[in-house]
Amino acid sequence: MNEMSWPPQVPPPMPSPVPPPMPVAFSGKRSEFFHLVKRGAGLEFVTLGFYRFWLLTDIRRHLWANTLVDGDAAEYTGRGKELLIGFLVALAILVPIYLGYFLIGLEAERFQAFASIPLVAFFYLFGQFAIYRARRYRLTRTVWRGVRFWMRGSGWIYALRASLWGLLVVVTLGLALPWRTAALERYKMRHSFYGDLQGSFEGRGWEFFKRGWWLWLLTPIALYVSPLAPFVYGAFKAVEWRWWLSGIRFGGVRLESKLRRSELIGLYWKVIGWIVVLGLVFSVYLALSAALVASMSGEPFVEFFKSQEFMKSIPLLVLAGLGYLAFALAMNIVIRVYLMRDLWVRVLGSVNISGIEAAAEVSARGDLANALGEGFADGLDVGGF
Amino acid sequence: MDSHVLETPKPPPDGSATYFDGMSNKRRAVTLRFADRLEINGDEGTLAAWAYADIRRADSPAGMLRLSCLTAPGLARLEVRDAALASELVSRCGGIDDDVPGRRGVAAIVGWSLAATVSIIAVVLFGLPLLADRLTPLVPEAFERRLGNVADSQIKTMFGAKVCDDEAGQKAFAKLVTAIRESAGLDTSVQSGVLSTPVPNAFALPGGKVYLFNGLLAKAENVDEIAGVLAHELGHLKHRDNMRGLIHNGGTSFLIGLLFGDITGSSVLIFGSRTLVTSSHSREAEQNADSFAIDVMHRLGRPAKPAGELLLRVTGKGDKGLSIISTHPLTEDRLAQMSREDRPASGPPLLTTDEWRALKSICSAKI
Repeated sequence: MNEMSWPPQVPPPMPSPVPPPMPVAFSGKRSEFFHLVKRGAGLEFVTLGFYRFWLLTDIRRHLWANTLVDGDAAEYTGRGKELLIGFLVALAILVPIYLGYFLIGLEAERFQAFASIPLVAFFYLFGQFAIYRARRYRLTRTVWRGVRFWMRGSGWIYALRASLWGLLVVVTLGLALPWRTAALERYKMRHSFYGDLQGSFEGRGWEFFKRGWWLWLLTPIALYVSPLAPFVYGAFKAVEWRWWLSGIRFGGVRLESKLRRSELIGLYWKVIGWIVVLGLVFSVYLALSAALVASMSGEPFVEFFKSQEFMKSIPLLVLAGLGYLAFALAMNIVIRVYLMRDLWVRVLGSVNISGIEAAAEVSARGDLANALGEGFADGLDVGGF
Repeated sequence: MDSHVLETPKPPPDGSATYFDGMSNKRRAVTLRFADRLEINGDEGTLAAWAYADIRRADSPAGMLRLSCLTAPGLARLEVRDAALASELVSRCGGIDDDVPGRRGVAAIVGWSLAATVSIIAVVLFGLPLLADRLTPLVPEAFERRLGNVADSQIKTMFGAKVCDDEAGQKAFAKLVTAIRESAGLDTSVQSGVLSTPVPNAFALPGGKVYLFNGLLAKAENVDEIAGVLAHELGHLKHRDNMRGLIHNGGTSFLIGLLFGDITGSSVLIFGSRTLVTSSHSREAEQNADSFAIDVMHRLGRPAKPAGELLLRVTGKGDKGLSIISTHPLTEDRLAQMSREDRPASGPPLLTTDEWRALKSICSAKI
């Protein structure tokens, strides 16, 4: 929330502050973000998840407002209510589709058991559409120096491209992934604008491949030796971020990232550590509540766990459900602090911007997009930032 | 008041600020003048004048006050870094925090969410059972049969099971089912078979299919035990419990899914809550099927108790088996009900000793 106390109890700054040496800076305090996420998780618990629209908005507002490019902070102008409306409209569209999916699946299954699985492909297409439209919503809510970013292009054309490229990636066992990412980024950036400044993407699939091919070789090993997986995934994400950021252009403005491969690995290990700790706490809680319910039922322990009523015991299910909810929310806090805020800060810290003078006289253009895409992304569970 | 001492460290009251007009991203250094409206003055004169009542706070990093105005272009922004100037501005703009959802805004979100939760729970507990009862008779038989066929092929794939077709056994099974079916008042559309799987179970599928698993048959000691189980399953068919359960379960999962949204791994939660909600419902359906089975057995002049004994024998061993359509959470209570209403046999046995032996070995040709 915007409960920042104003004015801050600091002496007025020097009349002309020295411009920061780094073109992109982040000024948000970690404790402030933690407080925001903690409070949001509590409210999510009380509202059984409905608060997520407002929490997500608050997280974005915090991250955007504290991101300073050339000394000026960005701003996120989206609101929770928009996301809620987008979600409700998406629901109204998705429900008949789900119903139709069910009926078509029924027909297909009549001929062959489990024949309805290919229909999942349709939802993949729909998910890609949602990703494009959700990006459009976020971009049109992003403002810097009083001018907003915006986006055009067709979500369905994007979804079709993404699906066809996805098919190629499957056929080539993942080798085509860099070219898929490059092609899709080119489409997205070509249709992105900052005022009247058109975006473009200069990253080439080949460069991405050159930097990451050895990770492709390591992936099968990492799938067997799971302690290796965070290293491989962290390195892959770092390579991807660096390559992606270095390809972004807006007119003459060029981004350059120097993200090192090792920088994200630590983050993933911290998250894994927290998952282990929280998982242990949750198991102990489950064992304790099972013991409590067993002692209340009056039956001897062994008898209680042998009888089939054990799995249907309502007090136990309620206790387990509440515990699970708390566990999931704690996990959400961990993931948001490390994989949203800390990741954001590290990635931003690696970015240098050149040719910012090209963005000195930009006229405002473009209209706001609705939050329907965000709603679909929520309903289909394909959300991004 | 001696202002000389205080004046020197403070910047002038019409301090400097940064202004973006919302039409271009040009950064303008401006000075502010507090007139009857807030005047924003640049090098070329007054750039804008904002009424104090229309000024709102916008998101900003720490150490800066960022303002917008309701009557100015939507993205026009005024940025003030000077703390003294900022506090002066805040004190003049009465409505500055009107758009910030404070404590009351959050309370409204919580309140509405709770109302939505209560309404969804009420629909799940009271609306859906009613809806399922009313909708079930409206579902065409053909559609139900189609559903049954889908479940049929999935179950056969899952268990890798085949219908046993030993000829003498088939004949005995058909005789048994026909006797029970006629007594239950169901027409000839009912299909039935014995599946060759060691899992001790039996179930009814929508559209009139009853399957007995060979595992249950192997554990049975006499024909009345099997007859009672079949009568119970026919009871489900008669009441169309599958269809009702489908509407009820589907609706419950959907609504609870809606409620919990995207809290990670919510499917576990959905599953748990659904078990809670539907267990009471399915218990009722089981009881009705039991009563139905007892009635049918009595009409045939056979005891109902053996079926209860068979199922207790199966579950007592702790081997519940796995069934995608679980129908038999048998407990002592159900055996007690069957014993209470039990009557001694008054009619002829349902199968002869030879036929019973043939039925028991119906799957032996395959296994």
